[in-house]
Amino acid sequence: MTSISTSADAVAAPPAIRVRRQTVSGVIALSLFVLVIVALSTMPWWAKTGTIRMVLELCCYIVAAQMWNMLAGYAGLVSVGQQAFIGVTGYAVFVLAQTFGINPFLAIPLALVVPALVAVPCYLLLHRLDGPYFAIGTWVVAEVFRLVASNLGWVNAGAGMSLAVMREYSGFERNVAMSVLCALMILVSIGGSYLFLSSRYGLALIAMRDNPVAASSQGINVGRLRFMIYVAAAVGCGFAGAVYFMAQLRINPPSAFDPMWSNVAIFIVMIGGIGTIEGVLIGALIYFVADRFFGEYGASYFVVLGVMTVLVALYARTGIWGMISKYWDAPWFPIRRHLLVERKDRA
Amino acid sequence: MQWVDALVQGILLGGMYAQYALGMALMFGVMRIVNVSHGDLVILLSLIGISLASSFGLGPFAVMAALVPLALAFGWILQRAVLNRVVGEDPLPSLIATFGLSLALQNLMLQIWSANSRSLPGGGLESRSIEIGGIYIGLLPVIVLLVAAGLTLGLDLMLKRMRFGRALRAASADVEAAAMTGVNPKSVYAMATAIAVGILGFAAVFQSLRSTVAPADGGAQLIYAFEAVIIGGMGSVWGAFAGSMVLGVAQAVGFRIDPGFGVLSGHIVFLLVLALRPQGLFGRA
Repeated sequence: MTSISTSADAVAAPPAIRVRRQTVSGVIALSLFVLVIVALSTMPWWAKTGTIRMVLELCCYIVAAQMWNMLAGYAGLVSVGQQAFIGVTGYAVFVLAQTFGINPFLAIPLALVVPALVAVPCYLLLHRLDGPYFAIGTWVVAEVFRLVASNLGWVNAGAGMSLAVMREYSGFERNVAMSVLCALMILVSIGGSYLFLSSRYGLALIAMRDNPVAASSQGINVGRLRFMIYVAAAVGCGFAGAVYFMAQLRINPPSAFDPMWSNVAIFIVMIGGIGTIEGVLIGALIYFVADRFFGEYGASYFVVLGVMTVLVALYARTGIWGMISKYWDAPWFPIRRHLLVERKDRA
Repeated sequence: MQWVDALVQGILLGGMYAQYALGMALMFGVMRIVNVSHGDLVILLSLIGISLASSFGLGPFAVMAALVPLALAFGWILQRAVLNRVVGEDPLPSLIATFGLSLALQNLMLQIWSANSRSLPGGGLESRSIEIGGIYIGLLPVIVLLVAAGLTLGLDLMLKRMRFGRALRAASADVEAAAMTGVNPKSVYAMATAIAVGILGFAAVFQSLRSTVAPADGGAQLIYAFEAVIIGGMGSVWGAFAGSMVLGVAQAVGFRIDPGFGVLSGHIVFLLVLALRPQGLFGRA
């Protein structure tokens, strides 16, 4: 694909070059992506309420997993406490809609300010911990939020809250809202990540992932980039939390700040393939199908998930997508830049 | 008086946390690894101990004599089978591997022992106490604190004086240089993890004597160990010991203010230390 000429004429005059990023597989995937977004937003006209709820759950997992992927796979920030932002935003929606009487659908975008504001002090504290200690630190933060919510009277402490205002809307109206929110979540998290990764920030991020020291010597502000990713991931997880708990209609501290969110996100990303968007989508589908078929086995199902995570970490760090792309190089979300040299003598 | 009592009980509680924190400090110091299943291993050992006690009628110290070698073996196997393959510059593989292990262990315990809380019968030991100046001091917590101090001293002496301790410190400072001087890092690491988990054998007996254990409790123990290490300051076993005391006192004082505030006040002290003195209270800047 890329040919570099070393002949004398090329040295004399630099050859015209062109950067190509899109691939055939990328164009096909992009069209499918648009189709999926359209299909998601029109769900009330073709799917039953039960299906919409299942799809909504899947979308929330994809978002949480993609946010974890951006953190751990690109920014080098391994977090096991993203449930802090999921829960906080869920609670923010309930407080805004239920306590202050704001329209619940308006409450969701308003509530997204909360994780952004909360993430700033969290990051300023946690970035002092290095590597593995950062991860446990994020868990402590999530535990702090859970304990605070359990003791706070105006969010009804341990008993939690209900979103009774949703009764004012008909089932169809709620389905429309849920479908549009699903489409928005996927558009923002997957489409947004793709745009970000193919921009110059994405280039910086990938350079940083490969070697932070070398990246910073090239003029990349590693600290600021990590901070940006951390806040963006908090908002992304918050979005998933807001939508998830609005669909649940109930929230309480143990469910809002459930470490299960981290378990699921880590499983999805590690099985699918860390550091790739394709991996997140594959992993989420596998998790979702496995959960439907084996969820009833409860504890032994989680034993298998745990053992699989260990095995991936030991023997197959690139996950399923890593294994596929080794044999079949057809990215769905191409972010690599191909340098094409245009030979003048042929032009 | 109430606050003096909180201080005393907090220090005694710290003795328990020190027994979790030592192993974590050791593993991080030597390999820069955090074993996420650290707390789950305490619970697993506790549950095995409780089952041993009830099937063979063993007393607490006989259980301890059985658990400590078992814990040493667990640690050695953990390092040989899992951690030696993921140790390295990148913290992600070791975190993910032990995270998966934690998830698997927790649910395996749930399968075997159900979600119920259990405790180890101590034959009256757990309820005996002495009164000093109006403060009741439990005999068991005093034993826990003394054992914790003894373990810390032993670990410190081993690191400073013994040939193996020197090998550990060498591997911690520079793996490749240590390997050139004839230290085999993989076997040194295996010994370090064996010791770190071996200490949990003591912790498991005391934890199940002092209070109850249930399969889901491991996460909290991991967090306490971690907070103690960070509060104390990384890099020394006495730092971890002192950090445990601070955490214990913070929780005991918080609990006196409001029962819902106990654990939270420990977390707050941890966050304050992180904000104001990130190298830890006793760490070197």
